[in-house]
Amino acid sequence: MTSVQVVAAVAVLAVPFLGADRYLLKVLTFVGVNTLIVLGLALLFGYAGQVSLGHAAFFGIGAYTSAYLSSALGLPWLVAVAAAVGLTACAGWAVAVPGLRLKGHYLAMATLGFNEIMSVAFVEARRFTGGNDGLGGVPFPSIGPYELDTPASLYLLVWGVALVALVGAANIVKSRPGRAMRALHCTEPGASACGIDVSSVKVRAFTLSAALAGLAGSLYAHTVGFISPTTFGLDLSILLVAAVVLGGRESLAGPVVAMAALTLLQYLGALVPGLSRQAAEAVQDWVPDIVGLTVVGVLIARSRGFRLRGRRGVPERGGQG
Amino acid sequence: MSLLSVRGLDKRFGGVHAVRDLSFDVHPQTIKALIGPNGAGKSTVFNLLTGFERPDAGSATFEGIDLTGRPPHETVRMGLARTFQESRLFDTMTVEENVLVGMHLRLSASFGLAAIRSPRVRREEREAREEAAHVMRLVGIDRYRDTRASDLPHGVRRLVELARALATRPRLLMLDEPAAGLDGRETADLGEVLLRVRDAGTAILVVEHDMGLVMGISDEVVVVDQGRKIAEGPPLIIQKDPAVLEAYLGEVSDGA
Amino acid sequence: MSTADLLQFVASGLQNGAIYALMALGFTLVFASTGVINFAQGEFFMLGGMLVAAEVAAGVPLGLAVAGAVAATAAVGALIERFALRPARASGALTLIIITIGCSMLLKSAARHLFGPDERAVPAFSEGEPVAVAGAMVQRQVLWVVGLTLLAAVALTVLYRWTKLGLAMRACSVSHDAARIVGIDTARVVMASFALAGALGALAGAVVAPVTQTAYDVGARMGLKGFAAAVLGGLGDPVGAIVGGVVLGLLESGAVAFVSGTYKDAVALVVLLLVLVLRPQGIVGRHLGEKL
Repeated sequence: MTSVQVVAAVAVLAVPFLGADRYLLKVLTFVGVNTLIVLGLALLFGYAGQVSLGHAAFFGIGAYTSAYLSSALGLPWLVAVAAAVGLTACAGWAVAVPGLRLKGHYLAMATLGFNEIMSVAFVEARRFTGGNDGLGGVPFPSIGPYELDTPASLYLLVWGVALVALVGAANIVKSRPGRAMRALHCTEPGASACGIDVSSVKVRAFTLSAALAGLAGSLYAHTVGFISPTTFGLDLSILLVAAVVLGGRESLAGPVVAMAALTLLQYLGALVPGLSRQAAEAVQDWVPDIVGLTVVGVLIARSRGFRLRGRRGVPERGGQG
Repeated sequence: MSLLSVRGLDKRFGGVHAVRDLSFDVHPQTIKALIGPNGAGKSTVFNLLTGFERPDAGSATFEGIDLTGRPPHETVRMGLARTFQESRLFDTMTVEENVLVGMHLRLSASFGLAAIRSPRVRREEREAREEAAHVMRLVGIDRYRDTRASDLPHGVRRLVELARALATRPRLLMLDEPAAGLDGRETADLGEVLLRVRDAGTAILVVEHDMGLVMGISDEVVVVDQGRKIAEGPPLIIQKDPAVLEAYLGEVSDGA
Repeated sequence: MSTADLLQFVASGLQNGAIYALMALGFTLVFASTGVINFAQGEFFMLGGMLVAAEVAAGVPLGLAVAGAVAATAAVGALIERFALRPARASGALTLIIITIGCSMLLKSAARHLFGPDERAVPAFSEGEPVAVAGAMVQRQVLWVVGLTLLAAVALTVLYRWTKLGLAMRACSVSHDAARIVGIDTARVVMASFALAGALGALAGAVVAPVTQTAYDVGARMGLKGFAAAVLGGLGDPVGAIVGGVVLGLLESGAVAFVSGTYKDAVALVVLLLVLVLRPQGIVGRHLGEKL
């Protein structure tokens, strides 16, 4: 880790000690949760080039598993977390094995379909999820007699996990599995000619990515204490993909920052001191417009930029293009 | 005993009979050239041997083990490495990273171990970088180590592909038109490198149009025309073979 | 189960199937001419219903309101092509689909700004009691849905087979380069296919709104179901799209009749996943280019 990264990590963990208020801490905790999900998607989509429009569903599977096991069955927190991560990883694997045979936009639609199926399931499987009314009374994280029940401690837990995941992801991308993902993103025949089992790497990346979303879901459930189906719908999945698109290919910091910005945008009204209630609501109202316009604008700009670069390259190749 | 033994290989694409009943051998520590007019089916042979296509009939064995029906990454594990006629470099990665990908099978770091960057992973990465440096020096691209592949001049791209294939430590290196687009000097350097690779113990099967290079380095030449073998033998004999002359002259007069 | 009950389910299956068929046609037209899956197709459906609701509320006669909604949504489709997709034409299919996702966010949000977050009702196209068809009582709107879908299918067939634009669209579905060589303005064709997709989506949304109500957020799920129908019929094949739509509609109401209504919405999605994984060329499985 570079010194800049260490300073950034310390700064993030110092926030609760700098007198931030409860509400701000809660919002920033959501940012931490979203950081975890978007990290997984950045590995999968930004590095391995495999899109998933179903990550909100994995987030939901993690959240509901953890919430159900700890509140309805009374299992200890750590067991619930482990089960949530494990089950989400299995779900990810089960989607990945058939799904990753599909190319680009078919994979996008398949994962989207998966997300919608899970959305239906979260509403209809009332026995486990509480249906549209949601599932409440999820206990705070606790180990033995110690319970994390203050906003500051929850913030530290979520961000502690997020930072560890960030370091792990950074380690992955600069060593063998990371190179394999980037390689198959560039050219699958080239990657397999180097001995990479392309489909196996894709499935692993997808499973890991889903597991991270599941971990985030579990942390989310125990942090807010109440979950309901609308949180895990298409909107979040799309927002996550938008963050990775805006954050850029082969980047971890980019998607994390983009997702943080997109998350904060939704709470902007409450976070900027002196902003009137109406103004705050207006901003919140226009969040989808801002996100949509940014995504379209950035992609158009980027595709024109790439085209200019491509043109410069052509004469060198003897103009066969 | 031959390293690679191809027997009765056959492949059709729709109405095109790309490879017909093709048989030949590659012996250890030799360079064999596969030549023929355009569209003779040479690249298809490569794809059949390395698992990118399945033959309709025939077999290919490598060190006595059947190759047909194995996916590409397994043929690499068995000791075959190939380059492509059209470059398949990893454009977003540096030259060093491209070569490191070639070492994929000999490294062990899984997602989990890589994430915690265990001491073994660290050591492995350090050693891999040393070996990559060695391969890059051998091929003569060490000064491009940190250049992104997309920014490389064409000639260097061909060499990076060669280096990447060498990094898999193959016992048979299969090169699909490695000299395409290289100038005379670069071609001569490439010939030197290939001879050094052979002398270090790696057999080479090369598809190439540059006859100077082919005749200069090959121990044996196979000539194919319309998917069929029309001649096989040492370069000096092949050059005088009437069937070969006809196939090539035919192409020239067709093209005129 | 009595014959009348069975017919009832067939009728509701046909109604939904017709809607899915229109949506699938929208996906298929755009896919055939561009290779892009247009994520905003579901929002065209939403716009159709919401625009009719708003126009009727403003006192526009129903027939005119439907025509207006279809025309306006066609224009929206053309605008999306011209100003969001065409500038990024150089990028891959995945980038383009994400651009259409961005567009669908914008359309959905715009609808919420314009029409509010509440459900909207649309009056039935013709008043009156359900009519008896072969012993089953069928709501009049169902006849409208099926009838207008058939009309749209016939009109499309005429357009595709016997007009210059149709010929150009078929040419583009085979190869843009070849189409350009014979002097076809491919950009115009692509724009036309987006406009048609908009019109078809809006028609679906308008004609089913009296039965289901409508709201600003109904697009995504209907889009997915229409896509499932398109994939079922073989993406890019207009005949397949209609077959796929009807089959999907019948499957859905069959599931409601014989299994349970709880997971009705999941049926189409499960079908989508199964077809994508097992038989990506669809059940009809012909491709446009080969057929014509």
